Amino acid sequence: MNSSVRRVAVLGGVRIPFARQNGPYANASNQDMLTATLDALVEKFSLERETLGEVVAGAVLKHSRDFNLTREAVLGTRLDPATPAYDVQQACGTGLEAAILIANKIALHQIDAGIAAGVDTTSDAPIAINEDLRRLLLDLNRSRSNAERLRVITKVRPQQIVPELPRNAEPRTGLSMGEHAAIMARDWGLTREEQDELALSSHRKLAAAYDAGFLDDLVIPFLGLERDQNLRPDTTMEKLAQLKPVFGGEDGTMTAGNSTPLSDGASAVLLASEDWATKRGPPVQAYLTDAQTAAVDHVHRREGLLMAPTYAVPKLLERNQLSLQDFDFYEIHEAFASQVLCTLKAWEDPVYCRERLELEEPLGPIDRDKLNVHGGSLAAGHPFGATGGRIIAGLAKALADDTHGSRRGLISICAAGGLGVTAILEKP
Amino acid sequence: MSVRELSASPNMAAMFARAGAALIPGASRLPFVSGGAREIPDLTLALDDVAIDPDRLARYDRVCGFSLSDSVPATYPHILAFPLHLALMTNGSFPLPPIGLVHIANRITHHRRLRIGERLALRVWATGIEPHPRGRQFSIRTEARVADELVWEEASTNLRRGQGGGGGDAGPRGQHHRETGSLEPVATWALPGDLGRRYGSVSGDLNPIHLHPLGARPFGFRSAIAHGMWTKARCLAALAPGLPERFTLEVEFRKPILLPSTVEFLEAPRDGGIRFAVREAARGTPHLDGDWA
Repeated sequence: MNSSVRRVAVLGGVRIPFARQNGPYANASNQDMLTATLDALVEKFSLERETLGEVVAGAVLKHSRDFNLTREAVLGTRLDPATPAYDVQQACGTGLEAAILIANKIALHQIDAGIAAGVDTTSDAPIAINEDLRRLLLDLNRSRSNAERLRVITKVRPQQIVPELPRNAEPRTGLSMGEHAAIMARDWGLTREEQDELALSSHRKLAAAYDAGFLDDLVIPFLGLERDQNLRPDTTMEKLAQLKPVFGGEDGTMTAGNSTPLSDGASAVLLASEDWATKRGPPVQAYLTDAQTAAVDHVHRREGLLMAPTYAVPKLLERNQLSLQDFDFYEIHEAFASQVLCTLKAWEDPVYCRERLELEEPLGPIDRDKLNVHGGSLAAGHPFGATGGRIIAGLAKALADDTHGSRRGLISICAAGGLGVTAILEKP
Repeated sequence: MSVRELSASPNMAAMFARAGAALIPGASRLPFVSGGAREIPDLTLALDDVAIDPDRLARYDRVCGFSLSDSVPATYPHILAFPLHLALMTNGSFPLPPIGLVHIANRITHHRRLRIGERLALRVWATGIEPHPRGRQFSIRTEARVADELVWEEASTNLRRGQGGGGGDAGPRGQHHRETGSLEPVATWALPGDLGRRYGSVSGDLNPIHLHPLGARPFGFRSAIAHGMWTKARCLAALAPGLPERFTLEVEFRKPILLPSTVEFLEAPRDGGIRFAVREAARGTPHLDGDWA
């Protein structure tokens, strides 16, 4: 057994344009989008008939019949059917976690190359039958006599026929993610203006990235859509200021403009050992050098639901002997503008850093010009499972393209359930 | 050869009405009802600028088992050309009325991948009537072009049972079936009773024989029968991942699938291509034999 740990190369990624809920992908299932995206990656890296070490992907909103979603998608691509696959799900951290899992197996010599992917549809969402009706149907299935069956059937009530749609709510608090984020925004004293400014900047940067051709080989058209449907290149502070608050009550600061919309889409990233990359030819764009997850108790300790990345990043920095300022790119997932701003304020706050993060000194501010330089989820949209792959592929390309001596990028993704997933990408 | 340029896809309801009229005894003497002439007319129908509707394609993909993508399945242009097929066969100068024809074979040549957003120019004509051991056969030929590039071709062969057949002792079809005895079953498909209605509503092929047992009984079937082109498309969906862009897909339709049914899909490599078949699961009744090359 080889006891050395080897470096993990990011060779590149692709995604389909992200669509808004019930938009052009309304008829597309998770499997359709994942298959098309994996196949686009196969084409980009000439992986036809190739047997890869593993394909790992996941979706947050998934029907139980899609238990083997990733494997079924692989069988629909031009990859060799002997390529193993499995599903993961870690809420909005799914895509990045998939990459970490692939990377760890490559680092430990268990596989040489693999694909990390993610997908989500909010249009073709799974619908569950009413929980009471489900229990009655199971009782019916267990019934042995007709009399018993009849007894079960008479318990069915008309209101039980109404199905259950998936809800964007935390099971233990009953609050939606937006309502949780609104509490964070209030606790940290965020203004409407600073949230709208971040949203505006996200749209401008993504539009500029499209105009500069940065996304030409990252985004593959799908079902007639060529750019992210949510992108508003011509939005302004005035237009954003007109939107009514949707979370945090009438005097709340969070709107549809500074929150991500429900979206549909998929992304995929190719990771490999250096040996595999050298033999096969594609240049190494970046190395995935380290990763860290964390979780907070948003139920009893009243920590903000989306604050877990603030806990993960200090651990990552300490292990790698880095300061927060040692990065040239910061990719902080814009679930809500308020999430990004709370995270940055927390890292600057001496009390928070001392009492919550147990740090002697605050991590300090970052150079905002290095934040989400090619736009973020506010502009692109956020199909939950697909965001990690979007960010990894964009950051790896930004590092590979950069000629100004950039060396390192930080990824920080918050997720439902008080989870956070973070990672470091470094230039070769 | 005379070419008739159409400005829009023909009205399917009107054509099915005309096709139905040909079943009425004596109606074929009317000038607008097919069945009057003896020879296939020297006529090509052409329709340009045919778009691929993403919603219709999505419904087609679902009912046939394809993954939804930007690529158009090789069997899809058939349903775009089908109104022209019907227009040709319901033309007053066409010798054989379309209802009651049996689709016995179909060959598609796929020159390259077609994508949503491309616009097709379709040309449809029929070849001459030939004798068949069980009647008379002819083929409808279709070509699809994008700009001037030939991207897709089809030969769809139909049989008119009885009526002056039997003369050809070595008919091109019906005598020597492909050897499919050695194929291994790889999948079982449960085909629902409403499959013909579902495929019919997507494809526009609303021939009553596919829709309901009441529509099928006058033609001697106890229940509705599956569309042959659905079965062919379902086979392609089963084979599709990993196929190169250029191929021919040739099938021979054997006994109709009486719906609902449970069938087996069989396949094996053969001469650098793939031989495949569909059989009834319990009794092994042959439904379709085919080759991908």
